[in-house]
Amino acid sequence: MTRDFSFLVAPLVRLTVGGTVAASGLGMLVCAGVGFEDGDAGVEFTVCGLAAVALGFLLLSQAIGSRSAASTVRPATGFAAVTLSWMLVSAVGAVPFLLTGTFGSGLDAYFEAVSGFTTTGATLIPDIEAQPDAVLLWRSLTQWLGGVGIIVLVVAIAPVSGPGIQRAFYAESTGLPSDRLTPRIIDTAKIIATIYLSLSALAAVAYFVAGMNVFDAINHAMTTVATGGFSTKDLSLGYFDSTSIEAVAVVFMFLGGINFAFYWKAIRHKDARLQYREVRAYAIILLGLSAAVGASVALHDDISGVGRIVLESLFSVVTVLSSTGFTTEDFDDWNSFAKTLIFLATFVGACAGSTSGGIKVFRVVLLTKIFGQEITRQLKPATVQVLRAGPHVFRDSVRQAVLGFFLAYVLVYTLGTVVMAASGLDFLSAAGASASTLNLIGLGLGEIGATGDYEAMSALGKSASCVLMIAGRLEIFTVVALLAAVVDAFRNAMSHRVA
Amino acid sequence: MKALVIGAGEVGMNVARTLSTDGHNVTVVDRNPDRCDHIRDQIDALVVEGNGASPRFLRQIEAAKFDLLASVTAVDETNVIAALAGHQLGVKTTVARVRDPEFLDREDAFARGVLGIDFVIDPDRAAANDIAAALRLPGAVSVEYFGDGDLALAELIVTDSSPLVGKPLAIRERPHPAFIVGITRNGEAALTRPDTIPEPGDHLLVSSPRENIQQAVAHLAGTVREVRRCVIFGGGKIGIALARLLEESKVKVTVLEREPKRARVLAEKLPRSTVLLDEGVEEASLIAAGVNEADAFVACAGDDRVNLLAAMNGKRVGADLCMATVSREEFTPLVNALGLDVAFSPRLIAAEAIMRFVHTRSVKAVHLFQTGFEAMELEVRKGSAVEGLAIGETHGILKHCRVGAVLHEDGVSIPQHGTPISAGDRLLMLGPAGTLSEVEPAFAGKS
Repeated sequence: MTRDFSFLVAPLVRLTVGGTVAASGLGMLVCAGVGFEDGDAGVEFTVCGLAAVALGFLLLSQAIGSRSAASTVRPATGFAAVTLSWMLVSAVGAVPFLLTGTFGSGLDAYFEAVSGFTTTGATLIPDIEAQPDAVLLWRSLTQWLGGVGIIVLVVAIAPVSGPGIQRAFYAESTGLPSDRLTPRIIDTAKIIATIYLSLSALAAVAYFVAGMNVFDAINHAMTTVATGGFSTKDLSLGYFDSTSIEAVAVVFMFLGGINFAFYWKAIRHKDARLQYREVRAYAIILLGLSAAVGASVALHDDISGVGRIVLESLFSVVTVLSSTGFTTEDFDDWNSFAKTLIFLATFVGACAGSTSGGIKVFRVVLLTKIFGQEITRQLKPATVQVLRAGPHVFRDSVRQAVLGFFLAYVLVYTLGTVVMAASGLDFLSAAGASASTLNLIGLGLGEIGATGDYEAMSALGKSASCVLMIAGRLEIFTVVALLAAVVDAFRNAMSHRVA
Repeated sequence: MKALVIGAGEVGMNVARTLSTDGHNVTVVDRNPDRCDHIRDQIDALVVEGNGASPRFLRQIEAAKFDLLASVTAVDETNVIAALAGHQLGVKTTVARVRDPEFLDREDAFARGVLGIDFVIDPDRAAANDIAAALRLPGAVSVEYFGDGDLALAELIVTDSSPLVGKPLAIRERPHPAFIVGITRNGEAALTRPDTIPEPGDHLLVSSPRENIQQAVAHLAGTVREVRRCVIFGGGKIGIALARLLEESKVKVTVLEREPKRARVLAEKLPRSTVLLDEGVEEASLIAAGVNEADAFVACAGDDRVNLLAAMNGKRVGADLCMATVSREEFTPLVNALGLDVAFSPRLIAAEAIMRFVHTRSVKAVHLFQTGFEAMELEVRKGSAVEGLAIGETHGILKHCRVGAVLHEDGVSIPQHGTPISAGDRLLMLGPAGTLSEVEPAFAGKS
C-alpha cells in the first residue's frame, strides 16, 4: 500500500504534468499569434504561454533526468500522474482568462478551463461574441487538447516510453483493452493522435465549405471532433441558422463519438469486430432515440417540415450522446417525453476510446446483457452464462468491473445532485447540472436551461461542477483511487507519528 | 498390406481389429504394457511396447517397410508427430487422429502439403456429424449419404401409425421411390423379403434418392416430428461439435455438463445454446433441463454406462428420440434392451474411416450401422465378374448381401429386376456385418 506522499511527486507525475503544461503553453502561444493579428490579448497570451512552456520544461527536465520516469510504477502513481495533470493543466489554462479580464474570479476561470479540457462545454461567459479572438481560440483549443486525452497527445510526442507511461496512458484512456494497436504504447498514441488530427482537419474543411469563415470553421472543427461544444457564438450553432452546417456538425459529432482505435483497425483491415459491434450499437441507439424524439416532437411541438424534424431530432440526440452540447433549437420548449429521452441519453454516451463522456455504449450494452442473464439465472439457476459480444467472450472480471463502474457512476451522480441542491439550485436544475457536468454535456435543465447558463451557480455549485467534470472525464476510478491512496498515505503518516 | 497402428485405446483396438479381420498384417504399438497385454489376447496382431512418436523407435521397428501408419492415440500432438516421422521414414500412407479442429483441421491443406500427413481423421467429430445428419432428417435415427451425396441410406423405426404395420412388404404402397433393404428386429439384422411383415419397433434400412428421402422416411415411419429442441447430455468433444452443428440448423440446444470449467468453455463456444451445470442422470434433473419437452435427447458423455443410463431415463421422462454414444462393444446389446432408439459408436466410425484407406480403388465408401448392417459403395470395373449381370441374378457371386441402389452418371435409381449392370456404374451393396468382406473381388477389373 501507499506508504507516504512521495508518489504524488514521482518522476512520472512530473513527466506528465510537465508535458501537459508545456503542451498547453504551446497552445497559448498559438493563441498569442491570433491575438497580435486581431490586436487584442496578444501580450497576455505570450506571457502566459512562455511561462507555461518554461514551467513545463522545468518539470520535464527533472523527470527526464531521472531514469525511473518511464519505468514500472505502482498503480497509485499512474492515477496521480493523470489526475494531477488534468487538475494542474486546468489551473494553468485558467490564467489567460484572468489576465485578459474575461473573468474576475479565479474559480470562474478555473471552471471555464476545466469545462474546456474535459470537453464539457459549460460556459460562464455571458457574452461570448464580445471576447477577443485569442480567448475564443483558447477555449476551443483547450477542448481540442483534452478531447482525445492530453496525455495521449503528450505521449505521442514524448521522447520516452515505458511501463510507467503506459500506466498513465491507460489511466486516462476510456478505451477497451483490445484497442491497443501496436507493441509500443508510444506508437499507439501517435496513431490515435494522427487520426484525431486528420478528422479535425476534415471537419474544418467541411465547416468552411458549408459556409463558415476560416476562424469559425477551425474553432468549431476542434470543439466538434473533441465533442466539446464550445462555440464562438452566443447562440452556439443556432447562430448560423444553416442546414448544411448543422448536418456537418451531426456527422462529425457522430464520428467523434466513435472509438479512434476502430478507425485505424478498419483502415488496416485488423480484427475490429468488437469495436464494430459497439459502433453499430451506438448507431442503433442514435437512430432509435432520434426516431422517438422526432415522432413526439412532430406530434406535440411547434416545429414543421419533415426534413427539419429529422435534422433537429438527430442533432439533439447526437449532441448529447456524443456529449458535445451544441445547440440549435432551445429544446427546453419541447415536450417532456422528448426532453426525458434526451436527458437519459446524456448518461449513455458514445463509444469507448472516443472523445465522449457518459457511461459509454459498450457498458450500457453489457449492463443490459447482465440484466438479462440475471433473469435467466432466476428462472434456471443451473445455467452457465458468459458475458459476450458476438464471438468475443469477456472474462468474469469484466462483469464485476462494469457493475462496479455503474454503481460508482450512480453514486457520484447522486452525490453530485445533492451537493448541487445544497448550493442553491432547485431539484430539476440540480439533477440537470449534475448530469450535465458528470456526462460532459454542458447543457442543463431548469434554471440553467438547455443553452447552459451556468452563471446562476453559486461558488459551491461551480466547485462541485469542476470535480464532477474531471471525475467524468477520467471515468471516476482514476480520481477516486487517487483519493483513496492519499487518504491511505495520510493515515500511515498519522500512525507513524503516534508510534 | 503391412499396417502399423499406434495407440491401443478403444479406437486403436478397433482399427487394428478391422484391419486384421480384413486380412492385413497388423502391428500395434502402445506405451502402456497393460494395454499391450490386453490387445495381445484380443487381436491377431504383433504388439510392440514403445513410444510411437519417437523416430528412433520407428526406425527400430523398420517403419519404412509399412504401407500404412495410423496414429490414433488420444493425444493430438503425439499423432501428428508420429505421422510426420512415419512420412519422413518412407511409410506410403499416413493417417493421424486429430481431435482438436483448431489444432489441425481435416480440410487443412497444411496437413498434407507441409506435414505430409495423408489423412486426418477425427472419430468424435465424425460421430457428431452422423448424429446431426440423423437429427436433421425427421423420422430417421441414422442416415448416411453415398454417391457424392445423391443417395441416402436411412434407418428408421416403425411406429404404430406406419402404413407398413401388419402387411407383407410386397403389397405396400409406393408413393415415393424408396427401397426397404434391411430390417432389424430384437437386435437381429436381416435382409428384407417380399413376405416380411414389419411390426412397430422394427428398425428398417431404406435407400432413396436424396431428394425423396425426407418424404419416404416420413411416409414409412408413420408420425414424424422435426427436431426443434434437443438436449445434449455431456459436453465433451462430441457434445460440443454436435451442439455447434445443431446451432447452425437453428435447433434450440441445451447442453448438460457436470464439470464447472468445461461448462464455462461450452458457454463461451456455444453462443446460441443453453449450458446447464448439472449431474443430470436422474429423472428429476433431466426434467429440470427440459428433456421431457425435447424432440431429441443425445447422451454423449465420456462414460458408456452413464450414457446408457441417462438415455434410458430420457426415454422414460418422455423425450421423443433418445440416442447414446457407446464406445465399448460389450455394451452394444444394451442399447436395444434398454429401449433406446439408436446408438452411435465413435469406435465403429474410426474403423470405418480406416477401412476407406485400405480398400482397393473400386470401393468408394463404407458405412457400418450400429444395428448390424454394413454398406459399401463399389464401382463396377471393366471386365469384372458383376459386369453384364442383371439385378436379381447376382446371388451366385454376391452371397448374403444385396444391391441397395444403383448410381449412374445421370442419377440414382432404385434397383429393378432385370436391369443390366454395366461398367462405370456404382452399386450400393448392403448386408449384415461381415458379409461384405468378399464382394470386393467381384467388382475389380481383370488386370
